[in-house]
Amino acid sequence: MFRNNYDNDSVTFSPQGRIFQVEYAQEAVKQGSVVVGIVSKTHAVLAAIKRNAEELSSYQKKIIPIDSHYGVALAGLASDARVLSNFMKQQSLASRLTYDRAIPLSEITLRIADRAQTNTQQYGKRPYGVGLLIAGVDAKGPHLFEFQPSGVTQEMVACGIGARSQMARTYLERNLDEFESCSREDLIKHALRALKESLSQDKELTVDNTSVGVGGIGENFTLFEGQDLAEWLETTFENREGQDEDEDAMETES
Amino acid sequence: MTSIGTGYDLSNSVFSPDGRNFQVEYAVKAVENGGTAVGIKCKDGVVLALEKLVTSKLLKPGANKRIATVDRNIGIVSSGLLPDGRHFVSRARDEASQWRGLYKAPIPTSSLADRMGSYAQAYTLYSSVRPFGVTAIIAGWDSEAELPVDGQVGSGPGVGSGGKKGGSKYGGPHLYMIEPSGLYWGYYGAATGKGRQIAKSELEKLNLSEGNLSLEEGVKEAARIIYVAHDDNKDKEFELELTWISSLNGPTKGRHEEVPKELKEEAERLAKKSLEGDDDDEDEDKMEE
Amino acid sequence: MNHLPQAWGRPRDDVYGAYDHSHFQTAGPIQHTQSPIVTGTSVIAAKFKDGVVIAADNLASYGSLARFTDVKRLRKFNDQVVVGFGGDVSDMQYLDRLLNSLDVRENYSSSDTPMNAKNLHTYLAKVMYKRRSDFNPLWNHLLIAGLDADEKPFLASADLLGTTFTSPTLATGFGAHLAQPILRRSLPDESSVQNVTKEEAVELVKECMKVLFYRDARSMDKYSIAVISKGGVELREDEKLENQSWAFAERIRGYGTQTV
Repeated sequence: MFRNNYDNDSVTFSPQGRIFQVEYAQEAVKQGSVVVGIVSKTHAVLAAIKRNAEELSSYQKKIIPIDSHYGVALAGLASDARVLSNFMKQQSLASRLTYDRAIPLSEITLRIADRAQTNTQQYGKRPYGVGLLIAGVDAKGPHLFEFQPSGVTQEMVACGIGARSQMARTYLERNLDEFESCSREDLIKHALRALKESLSQDKELTVDNTSVGVGGIGENFTLFEGQDLAEWLETTFENREGQDEDEDAMETES
Repeated sequence: MTSIGTGYDLSNSVFSPDGRNFQVEYAVKAVENGGTAVGIKCKDGVVLALEKLVTSKLLKPGANKRIATVDRNIGIVSSGLLPDGRHFVSRARDEASQWRGLYKAPIPTSSLADRMGSYAQAYTLYSSVRPFGVTAIIAGWDSEAELPVDGQVGSGPGVGSGGKKGGSKYGGPHLYMIEPSGLYWGYYGAATGKGRQIAKSELEKLNLSEGNLSLEEGVKEAARIIYVAHDDNKDKEFELELTWISSLNGPTKGRHEEVPKELKEEAERLAKKSLEGDDDDEDEDKMEE
Repeated sequence: MNHLPQAWGRPRDDVYGAYDHSHFQTAGPIQHTQSPIVTGTSVIAAKFKDGVVIAADNLASYGSLARFTDVKRLRKFNDQVVVGFGGDVSDMQYLDRLLNSLDVRENYSSSDTPMNAKNLHTYLAKVMYKRRSDFNPLWNHLLIAGLDADEKPFLASADLLGTTFTSPTLATGFGAHLAQPILRRSLPDESSVQNVTKEEAVELVKECMKVLFYRDARSMDKYSIAVISKGGVELREDEKLENQSWAFAERIRGYGTQTV
């Protein structure tokens, strides 16, 4: 039943020093629909594709606002994300209550990372099956952190995780230099374009399947869904479609 | 005797017939793939250096610091599984703070190394846990002067608050390296991670046991060794992380801090220059041939 | 004779009469600190346009005995916060250790912004309130002086009941009665803070320390004074009250050896 003898639990090293259970948990992240995040000097943006189980069902929640200054986007097991986000909400409120201070994003990221690490070193526990992007603004400005089931966390300029997210990351790497000085609107457009890259050919970004979260200096982290996205989607992709048409025209000509 | 297929390597805390704990040996394998970490004990302080491999262009440059501070005067750098390294550091911080609670004074580096050695060893004892996938280098400066006792309100009795006698020498630089087995030694120069072999041979050339190397020279050597140990073919880019701890009258006043930007840049410049020099030498050698 | 275990170690009833259980009461409510033991007296502080001045004398009294005369009751937390402690000295030491461990933790990451006076006041007020709610108060009255997140002067108090208060001038203990009215002459309200310079504020606080030394029998003329502003903390811990004049004492009547 198992691929080898070393992947039964998270307390066994393989002869190469790998922990297969943790690596398998990373695979669960790749099963989730794609989410991307980008930061500029002033803003942090999250964007996500929402899936629905069937035509008439509701869409899966992908972006969770945690505190007024930040939120998370998830890819993977949503119920694991709920456990982590509830913990983050508690810790964030505790910081505001005891110190009258918005919890620094690096701090809250480390706290969930340490929790995740414990699950990879004790028998009877399993690693979390979810990856998170944590984005928002604290006393040091906008930040974006990536969290992985292994307990690895990294501060990023831009990031994409989930199914087919390599396409999104390629887009982000190509446009990396622009992000820092981007305006709020441009940053959102970049996030949506990166998201689109990861979509399979027959799919489109719509007001129903897209989620956007925006935080900025002097701006609380807010979740945008439904008709609030209509204008962004329209302005982001009108040019692109125009280009496509041009290209098509060229082809027919030739 | 081989490990694979015997069944003796499937669980922690199990000895093979020839007396080995394979899970600990596998944990060491995890360390061998990590970026190179180096520690150098100098006459007036300690330096820690780390080769941080850049795994993605999307990482924020200069962020994601990995050399951690414990109490105020101790630094820990580890190579191997990053999350395990953080777990190790967080335990070290707890130990240091508990020590303060009990003794009203900072923990001596030797005691911290001892306690962390025991902690790592405990994770080789039970099948319900796995060993740490890290080798950690602990560097510290134990205060040579009498520090105020935690919570001290006055100057206290004239004979000295810490119970120290006058005239004798206290404190100084310390360097230890702890392996996944819990085994630890004190070092003049320590190296772990991918480039440890090259780094070790470079460290040996410094004759550290003579105790002549100054802290600033140590910083430059540490930077150079990381550059020398870096494998250009396998890993393209890396960031250098440098921290140091000096004596109370030195630049960090007995605290563990990042090496200031100017000195770090100077050290990196010299490191790159020495590499170019090497290449030139090789070219010349070829010419001569 | 009674050989039952509950009688072991007890005085013999036939010799001393029946044991009076009210002497050594083991049952009853748990009691914690009912009064402070070694104490520090007033702490006073005043805002000025660029920061805050805070002062306290260097005495720790054991009842009416001037027991320790080199006690530092102003504690620098970092470059923008000083805490002044009135009340029990051992509880102050406990709080100092608490602040020390907080500071160690805060410095693990050098990149995060340091804790400001408002953060620290919120924290200490929580500690004080928690302890009083456990019926085990820390017998102190604290003044937290420094700068807030906007680098504006910040001054607030927290006491053993967990009560918090903020004002342009604050004083604890005897100072609340003797120094506060004097401080308020120069700083009646928040808007008046803008008109007071650092030199004026220091002079005002020193004058109040002198009045307190004149009238508070648990005070001393050696004191500590700190000025917190954007430039950091200037803390002097071995100051002596200057230009003392006890002429007023001649006119005091009503106690001592005087007959008229």
